[in-house]
Amino acid sequence: MSRTRREFIRDLGISAAAIPFVLNLPSLAFANQGQRKQRIIFMFSPNGVVRKNFWPDEEGEEFKLKEILKPLEPFRDKMLILNGVCDQVRGDGDSHMRGMGCLLTGIELLPGNIQGGSDTPAGWAKGISIDQELKNFLHKDAATRTRFGSLEFGVMVPERADTWTRWSYAGANKPITPIDDPYQMFAKLYGRAKDQEALSSVLDGLKDDLKKVSAVVGSADRKLLEEHATFVREMEEELKESRATAGHAVPPLEPGVRRDNDNMPQISKTQIDLMINAFAADFMRVATFQYTNSVGGARMKWLDISEGHHALSHEGNDKLAAQEKLTKIDMWFAEQMAYMAKRLAETPEPGGEGSLLDNTLIVWTNELGEGNTHTLNDIPFVMVGNGLDFEMGRSIKYKRTPHNRLLLALAHGFGHRIDKFGNPGFCGGGPLELT
Amino acid sequence: MQFTLLTSILAAALVLCALPVAGGQEAGGEEIYKLQCARCHGAAGQGTKKYPQPLVGGKSPAQLAGLIGRTMPDDEDEKCTGEEAGRVAAYIHDSFYSADAIARLNPPRVELSHLTVGQYRNCVADLIGSFRPVAKVDDQRGLRGDYFSGRDVRGGAGLISRVDPEVKFDFGAAGPDGETEDGKFNPNQFSIRWDGSVLAPETGVYEFIVRSDHAVRLWVNDTKRPLIDAMVKSGTDTEYRGSILLLGGRQYSVRLEFIKGKQLDKKKLLSAKPTAASVELLWKLPRRTEEVIPARLLSPVKAAEVAVMETAFPPDDRSYGWERGTTVSREWVSATTDGALECAGYVIAHLSELAGVSDDASDRGAKLRVFCRKFAERAFRRRLSEAEKVWYVDRQFESAPDVEFAVKRIVLLVLKSPRFLYPGAMDQADGHGGGDWAVASRLALTLWDSAPDQALLDAAAAGKLKSREEISRQAERMLADPRVKVKVRGFLLAWLKLDPAPELAKDAKRFPEFDAALSADLRTSLELFLDDIVWSAASDFRQLLLSDEYFVNGRLAAFYGVEPPAGGGFAKMKLGPGGRAGVLTHPYILSSLAYAAESSPILRGVFIGKGLLGITLRPPPNAFTPLAAELHPGLTTRERITLQTSQASCVACHGVINPLGFALEEFDAVGRFRAEENGKGLDVTGFYESRAGPTVEFTGARQLGAYLAGSEEVHAAFCQQMFQHLVKQPVRAYGLDKPRQLQASFAESGHSVKKLIVAIAVTAASDASGQEAPESVGAATGR
Repeated sequence: MSRTRREFIRDLGISAAAIPFVLNLPSLAFANQGQRKQRIIFMFSPNGVVRKNFWPDEEGEEFKLKEILKPLEPFRDKMLILNGVCDQVRGDGDSHMRGMGCLLTGIELLPGNIQGGSDTPAGWAKGISIDQELKNFLHKDAATRTRFGSLEFGVMVPERADTWTRWSYAGANKPITPIDDPYQMFAKLYGRAKDQEALSSVLDGLKDDLKKVSAVVGSADRKLLEEHATFVREMEEELKESRATAGHAVPPLEPGVRRDNDNMPQISKTQIDLMINAFAADFMRVATFQYTNSVGGARMKWLDISEGHHALSHEGNDKLAAQEKLTKIDMWFAEQMAYMAKRLAETPEPGGEGSLLDNTLIVWTNELGEGNTHTLNDIPFVMVGNGLDFEMGRSIKYKRTPHNRLLLALAHGFGHRIDKFGNPGFCGGGPLELT
Repeated sequence: MQFTLLTSILAAALVLCALPVAGGQEAGGEEIYKLQCARCHGAAGQGTKKYPQPLVGGKSPAQLAGLIGRTMPDDEDEKCTGEEAGRVAAYIHDSFYSADAIARLNPPRVELSHLTVGQYRNCVADLIGSFRPVAKVDDQRGLRGDYFSGRDVRGGAGLISRVDPEVKFDFGAAGPDGETEDGKFNPNQFSIRWDGSVLAPETGVYEFIVRSDHAVRLWVNDTKRPLIDAMVKSGTDTEYRGSILLLGGRQYSVRLEFIKGKQLDKKKLLSAKPTAASVELLWKLPRRTEEVIPARLLSPVKAAEVAVMETAFPPDDRSYGWERGTTVSREWVSATTDGALECAGYVIAHLSELAGVSDDASDRGAKLRVFCRKFAERAFRRRLSEAEKVWYVDRQFESAPDVEFAVKRIVLLVLKSPRFLYPGAMDQADGHGGGDWAVASRLALTLWDSAPDQALLDAAAAGKLKSREEISRQAERMLADPRVKVKVRGFLLAWLKLDPAPELAKDAKRFPEFDAALSADLRTSLELFLDDIVWSAASDFRQLLLSDEYFVNGRLAAFYGVEPPAGGGFAKMKLGPGGRAGVLTHPYILSSLAYAAESSPILRGVFIGKGLLGITLRPPPNAFTPLAAELHPGLTTRERITLQTSQASCVACHGVINPLGFALEEFDAVGRFRAEENGKGLDVTGFYESRAGPTVEFTGARQLGAYLAGSEEVHAAFCQQMFQHLVKQPVRAYGLDKPRQLQASFAESGHSVKKLIVAIAVTAASDASGQEAPESVGAATGR
């Protein structure tokens, strides 16, 4: 019977559950048990939002969630909604490009050859993004260092590298490619464990083979093969040992999810599950989670919407049918965030108090404030979780405040007390006061 | 600077020889030895506490006799002379002193060996490559360039479609056809695609470099994932780099896309003022400097992907001067595990392509099983019995949870099996030295450091690898493969003591233009010289020591003061003035056998004596610093060396070394000709006391080259070193007379290197069991 690769990985995942995770990360896994583990997730969805169905009318602790944010109701007291935060970075590139490339970097795009729908052509962002800045900050200290530092997840990110498809940057001109294939991510996280399982399963065969061949070589040469066999036995002992000191188990993986528009809900769930497991295993403290891309055109047929997301987002505010569909689309993204929050809340903090959500902040954002106007004002920033000791359960309305100040606040939330990030011209006033 | 001054001890001081002649009878050599010599040298020449150096070496009986006559015994050197010295010398020589005597006392055997690191990588690459089509590279050199108007490079043939020898273009503000207006191209927006393959001349990590002020993308080997992706032209970057491990002697597909122009609308395109555009494709070979990828290594024919495993292995044992796999270590066994896992990952990632079956085919399981059976057979280099196929393959399919996991297990089982890792392991079990399959395997290992190709496997399956003629024919066919060229070049560089490559650092004041790029060019020049002679029709070994035509490019021409060749690359020419003689005076070798500012007759003499003539030289008793040239401004290098090595303790070795090196004194530390040194004329006379007899005298490089080219000592050393390098076993393991046989056939062939390679391959392939292959099929023993 022929089976698919997906089924094979699923089977491996389950049967490998008892297999120790790795031999190769001894100190990292245990070095950082002392202090509280702060984490952050940056979640992206494209094309702006339907403002009237997104932003709460009220300010302060007494606010009502509008339709789009309704799925986050269970986390209302762990939420922080920031209105009036604006991406004021200008320069080359159209709004979608700058909206994406400057979102986490807070700095201009370099001149380049990529021409958007308007404005001048541009290339990559001129600086590092805040997620990578935090990753580097945490990596410097052995107490907060982790195996990967950060992981970049994607869901249906197009297979082309350009200013619209990248938001995380290791530095100027150094965009990071997100991994949007759950099986590729699985291999990155658990490949070694899978290899060890395969190896264990052929060990008896290898030993038999060596015996058979040893029996037919001349006595002078046999010594060499006997020595070889000794080392194979040592390998066997090591494999057993690693089994005995089993650390993190390999999670099961849903089989057969093809990288296909219609499978977006499944891919999303699978990627979220992998991310939560990776956090629980302390593989990283920082994650980005990118749905499609800036100008993304997902067709959410599972919501009975056949048009592409981006095309819909150009419709005017008076086109009610389109507004309704866009509202449903954004609600779906809010549901994904809610699922992340739920999984974090359900997962106890390993070796610590409370849940992962108590130590994690999810930041959901977008390259535009609104699709049809392409404004970079009022960029949606919705946060859930207590990772950074911000005072949650609030709706805040700022007056045209550059988003660099929010990026600074995130850094300060990790104890990374920088006074500039991205273009220093937008850092006046310092980090937003959110605690 | 420090250097080691070689002093005496050619034949570890023969100390004793006081002989009473008993009863007027002439004493035999053995008798003389026991009476006079054994006291100090030990009963079998093994040495004693007082004189621990064993009596072994490369002198001829006549040379030994001469030495004994002059110097032995230590206290009374008149006591053993003339015929007596001759008899005792003959006894010593034949009993324990000579290489033959040593081999007779302790016969070497062909030892079971595992694949060396290079062989492992090649075997895996060819094992996987055997499931892919073979590219037929023709004589065309360069890459296919297709030039398009607009930004789309993915179409068929372009407006221009031609073979470009190399990618190094500066279009200025014009279109690629040189036109700014009315041309086929809009100079604001055009694109080019270069396609084809590149031959990697050696194994190592290559850095590819694309320089362009516009968008570019480069693929090397892997046609799906670009090595360099700068399709987004961003900021001021104009140089992009990517590194990749390549195995030497293989063709790798290369594709470069270049796109000029932003995504402008038509109107803007016509009105905009064109900017400049240029593009260059370079690389940096391991330990060399950057260069535009030369046309001679490019082909417009695409190549199949090569599976290059990157697992790091511990380096092979090279203590005998050649790599061999006769010891195992924990690290090596562990690396074979990592290698097998890496290969399994590769096979599974490319499974459908390799097995020739689609992901959802209904017969996928059956086809994968066929694939795995072939995989095991090819990995083991022989036909497997049905029971073996079941054991390695079928039972995995029956027990694994799914087919991919079964494949993974099979790859692990096969690549971790001693049958794969130790190619000769099953030879004895198969009888007849392993039969045709083993012959095929040994031929491929000897000539390619790899696994048999389909033609060899077919010949083995048809039982057509029995007679020497059949094996010879295969070996001759195999010579056409670039992998042989890489392996033979590797040997020649080892023969010339240039592996690993020396760091050539020269005095910046005296030789300001001698930089890393020049040094890299010199190495390339030498390699081209070696290839040119060895792979010419005559393949005459002697030309390696006689030819005075070298490969020179513009930079070398400027440095060595000759007319630069037309065209950008290397061309063959004389490096006048001064008579040159093959490798002896190739400027790369002369530069490497020299100090930063001064020539070194000692390094050159040791190279000729030890390396080319194969004489035994022991290291000097102490480390010596050479006399500084500036402290002896009135002396030539020859005079300085003579001054420093004139003590008795130096002369035994330096009496041989110096006169060889002095003959090359017309060439300075960078291999340039000089007519005088420090205002003094040069004495380039020298001599060598050959083992066969007379002392030969020569003046200058050409006479020395002519002598060495015809020297049987040089031929013998070359044959033996080449055998051991190619086969990775001691030559006398194939018969005590084998060195002489090889040398005789080498002489008969007119000293053809190619024929020597074939003779070595045939010997190694057929003689592993100690039995000669029969002369013809009729005499073949049936299997």
